[in-house]
Amino acid sequence: MLDASIAMQVLFWGIYAGCIYMLLATGLTLIFGVMKVVNFAHGEFLMLGSYITFWIVSLLGINPYVAILPSMILLGLLGIAVERLAFRPILGTGKLNEIFVSLGLIYILQNGVAFLWGDDFRSMHSPYAAKTIPLGSINLPLDYVILVFFTAVILLALHLFLKKTSLGRAMRATSQNRKAAMLMGVNVERIDMLCFGLGVALAAAAGSLWAISGQLFNPYSGSLPAIKAFAIIILGGLGSIPGAIVGGLIYGIAENAGGYLFGNYWKDAISFLILIAVLVVKPHGIFGEGEE
Amino acid sequence: MRQGLLLWLVALAIALLLPLVAGKSPYLMKVLIIMIIFIIYTHAWNLLAYSGQASLGHAAFFGIGGYASALLASKFGVSPFLTIFIGAAFAAIAGVFVGIICVRLREWFLAMVTFGFSIIVGTIFLNQFTSIFGGVDGMPAKRFFSATLEHRYMYEYYFMLLIAIATTLLIYFIMRSRLGFAFAAIRENELEAKVLGVNTTKYKLIAFLISTYLAGLAGALQTHSFAYITPEIYSVHNSFWPVIYAIAGGLATLEGPIIGTVAITLIWEGLKNLGLSFGRFVIIGLLLVAMVIFRPRGLASILDRWR
Repeated sequence: MLDASIAMQVLFWGIYAGCIYMLLATGLTLIFGVMKVVNFAHGEFLMLGSYITFWIVSLLGINPYVAILPSMILLGLLGIAVERLAFRPILGTGKLNEIFVSLGLIYILQNGVAFLWGDDFRSMHSPYAAKTIPLGSINLPLDYVILVFFTAVILLALHLFLKKTSLGRAMRATSQNRKAAMLMGVNVERIDMLCFGLGVALAAAAGSLWAISGQLFNPYSGSLPAIKAFAIIILGGLGSIPGAIVGGLIYGIAENAGGYLFGNYWKDAISFLILIAVLVVKPHGIFGEGEE
Repeated sequence: MRQGLLLWLVALAIALLLPLVAGKSPYLMKVLIIMIIFIIYTHAWNLLAYSGQASLGHAAFFGIGGYASALLASKFGVSPFLTIFIGAAFAAIAGVFVGIICVRLREWFLAMVTFGFSIIVGTIFLNQFTSIFGGVDGMPAKRFFSATLEHRYMYEYYFMLLIAIATTLLIYFIMRSRLGFAFAAIRENELEAKVLGVNTTKYKLIAFLISTYLAGLAGALQTHSFAYITPEIYSVHNSFWPVIYAIAGGLATLEGPIIGTVAITLIWEGLKNLGLSFGRFVIIGLLLVAMVIFRPRGLASILDRWR
């Protein structure tokens, strides 16, 4: 039977996984809002984030949590390059082309990493790996708590950036109405680029935190989280950041509860069952409005 | 048109004569057989794309066709030559089911649902009903021709070729029929098609039905050719290959799946012989992106001036 401490444990695991989904989904929805592009290869940036942080830590020997920011910046630059080279040329040529280009990117990034660094599972060691924080009847690993904290800080910083800076305002304007933003003097192509870089940096943060908290990673570990993040932004409404955050949290908890109740190998299948069920009832997501 | 027909006849002649050259090498014959199976499979995917619906989870139907056919052949002792067609019907049933979910969805929503469906099906075949499906180990499947038969690869090749030709003809007639026009109208602008009186729901479901039947048929062909089947068949690669082949050849054209499958298979096997493993996936990925950007109508568009 489900007793309180197990329920707590499942809930906390859900929040922990939900944080990763939140960061991924927020980046994805940010890119979608501004560019109306869906990047199926978003999870590959999460995977790259794990690897870059891993290498920064192994080469420089610094605290992994310090390595997150440089990792985000490096991948943000890579994201800008990918936007310029792969997505800009096909912008406005049809939604199918975007799916196909991101499919190509998945192949390039996954196997590029496997080519360079092999496809074995790797892991990182956090200096706080053995520490736990007691909370009621359960012990929370310190790294998980830090992960939740970092996620909150990053999302808060993003919120402030979007609300308080002129660049953030330009991003929101482009997201709301691209043409009007252009007429008001916003350089929308530059906004596209920055936005893509920012979204990728968020994925890198997710990948770094995921790896630091002790999860194994290999070149293929980004695909499923990305597809789930995509499901989340459908549930939360395409382009809506609050939707992505709430959706990510609900998704993480639902997935872990489902995995606990039906067996862990059902985790992925359950999340898609939820998605399909929602799409059948509401084809444009729970918070989304009909568009096209 | 006449030059177009000539090209088709040349291609057919090459296909018929190839075993005379390659027949000595089992490796080459196996590559050719898989290539033909994937031409059928890519035709199936491409027909759905022809109606404006791009699936990212066709492996589900490929696999269901394979499992159903293998089970029918081993449990009831029916000849695989028959079960491939019955097994494919199971894939089509699943296909219509997914189609019903998808009729209201477009583009990435549809891509998501089909992708998710293949993950769900893969999970079920891996973890549930292991006494029937054999779990992770899968199960053996009857061969078309006995493994001891002298020219079995050659027989198998011509059998696959026959089905591939039949499939190509079927798609040709569909594309030129009212059905094909309805598919194309939906692809170009679903709302306009609806306004003009096309029953879009019906035609989208028909596209799903035919496409998933053919995908299941291709899966069954592969299963009996390999003589075994495992849940590996539901891997994302099997969902993505037909997409890559069709785009490389020419999306929503009759010749695209054939040209694309042949071209990419040649590149793929060539790179393998150069000793690349992960590198060849990177190259295929680069090719895919470059194709979409620089040649969105695929390699088939090179032949345009011949028509």
